[in-house]
Amino acid sequence: MTSTLYLDRRSPVHRLNPVTKLVAMLTIVVIVFAVPLWWVAGLIVVGVVVPAAVVAHCGGRLLSLSLKLLLPIIVVLVLVQGLTFPGGKTVLAEWGVLALTTEGLLFALGIGSRIVCLVLTSVLFVLTTHPGDLMGALTERGMSPKFSYIISSTLQLIPAFRDRADGILLAQQARGLAVKGSPLARVKVMMPLLGPLVLGMFTDVEERSTAMEARGFGSAARRTALIPVPDSTAQRVSRWLMLVLAVAAIVVPIVFGVL
Amino acid sequence: MSTSIAQSSSRRVRNTVLVAVGAVIIVATYLYLVIGQPAEVAESSTSRASLIAMGGYLIGALLLAIGSIHRLPTATIAMVPVAIALNIVVGQIVAVIGLPLYLDSIGTVLVSALAGPAAGVVTGILTNVIWGLTLSPIALPFAVVQVVIGVLAGYAARWGMFRRFYLAPIAGAVTGIVAAIISAPISAFVFGGATGGGTGAIVGAFQAMGQTLLGATTLQGLLSDPLDKAITFTVVVLILAAMPGRFRQRFPFVREYRVFGKTSPKPTGEVAVER
Repeated sequence: MTSTLYLDRRSPVHRLNPVTKLVAMLTIVVIVFAVPLWWVAGLIVVGVVVPAAVVAHCGGRLLSLSLKLLLPIIVVLVLVQGLTFPGGKTVLAEWGVLALTTEGLLFALGIGSRIVCLVLTSVLFVLTTHPGDLMGALTERGMSPKFSYIISSTLQLIPAFRDRADGILLAQQARGLAVKGSPLARVKVMMPLLGPLVLGMFTDVEERSTAMEARGFGSAARRTALIPVPDSTAQRVSRWLMLVLAVAAIVVPIVFGVL
Repeated sequence: MSTSIAQSSSRRVRNTVLVAVGAVIIVATYLYLVIGQPAEVAESSTSRASLIAMGGYLIGALLLAIGSIHRLPTATIAMVPVAIALNIVVGQIVAVIGLPLYLDSIGTVLVSALAGPAAGVVTGILTNVIWGLTLSPIALPFAVVQVVIGVLAGYAARWGMFRRFYLAPIAGAVTGIVAAIISAPISAFVFGGATGGGTGAIVGAFQAMGQTLLGATTLQGLLSDPLDKAITFTVVVLILAAMPGRFRQRFPFVREYRVFGKTSPKPTGEVAVER
């Protein structure tokens, strides 16, 4: 069981510097949220995210993952805001207190387009960027190595943790613990699970911290990279261009009024 | 380790400034969103409100985390991944078992009680960053909520709320109220109240009763968060009671603020902790 969504493929998107992809993702998110026009999000999805996914050979996985994440949100969003939006005036249909309004549907469209773009972009980023590369690239740029230790270490811990939790749950069931039942009974199940789980995992911590301290983890000195992450001038320039684009997306609607 | 005294004190000043600026940005973001109440009828202004909600909260949380992480000793740093894994795994199990709760901050509260608010901040923000990297990017905008839980749990521990069993749920409920208030603008402006099936229906019901979008998400949060956090704090105090006293007393934070008082709390009644 893997704990990340990363798909190991050979493609130009995978080869990009992780920081470039991070900046691209943030730029897209800023543009989508700063420009109050729903078709901008649509344009970015069709013009940038989908082609990038096709180039990266992750189209199918991106589609299935995003659908699973987005479908419940979008359905609830359209129902709730379409029917109960406080600013709704143009009533299309009415059932008691619920009224389907044009304003509500437009509001749902505005929010929904942004969420779709946000989810698609970030899932694509996670699919094409190995967490290790991202941490390495960010540490090279001055992020505290403590952050990268915590993130990388957690990603390795989660599968081990899940295995241990399953084992404890099976063991407790074997000695007669009922997992099904009323909500209150299920809350009680949590304690016989959590006790051994936490005690076991936390007792390992002391040895680990001694070993880390012995290898200079607490030192404030600047580290050199074991595996340098490739970068290029073109990417460096494009990162600055994207930054300018993001700032423009924020400033232009404010200066020239809402488009 | 050749940092001179002057350098380390200037670093401490820098960290304090980062934490202060981060906290101010988070509070200012909330106040702007609530007092400014960007007219919700015009769809154009929710776009700006959502950008400010996400940007302000995320930048504030990041500054808090950067300012906090340098204060943590290696023993605490080694504990944080375990706590984050606990958050994520228990949060998932709860969702699978089908409880109407989140219980996704047990690790954060545990670390805060043992190692203080700074450790809670780092655990909180990285929980949602990792959640975003592995399971669902929707968790990322809510990172600030876990940060606030970490800070409040840390101060609750300082003030002795983990010394007695009946105090922990009270501290949890208060934390839940603050968490609900802080998270409301994100669920309102970024997600339009649609963060899940059940919660979405509640938001819709409140809107149908004449609440604004922000008012509806705040009320929805106030319905679920205080209970959720009260249970989380209770679970944590039970776990802590089950831990060997030697383990608990190893943490300088626990010794300095006598988090567990002079004697360790004893489990009472039928909720006795299995060992």
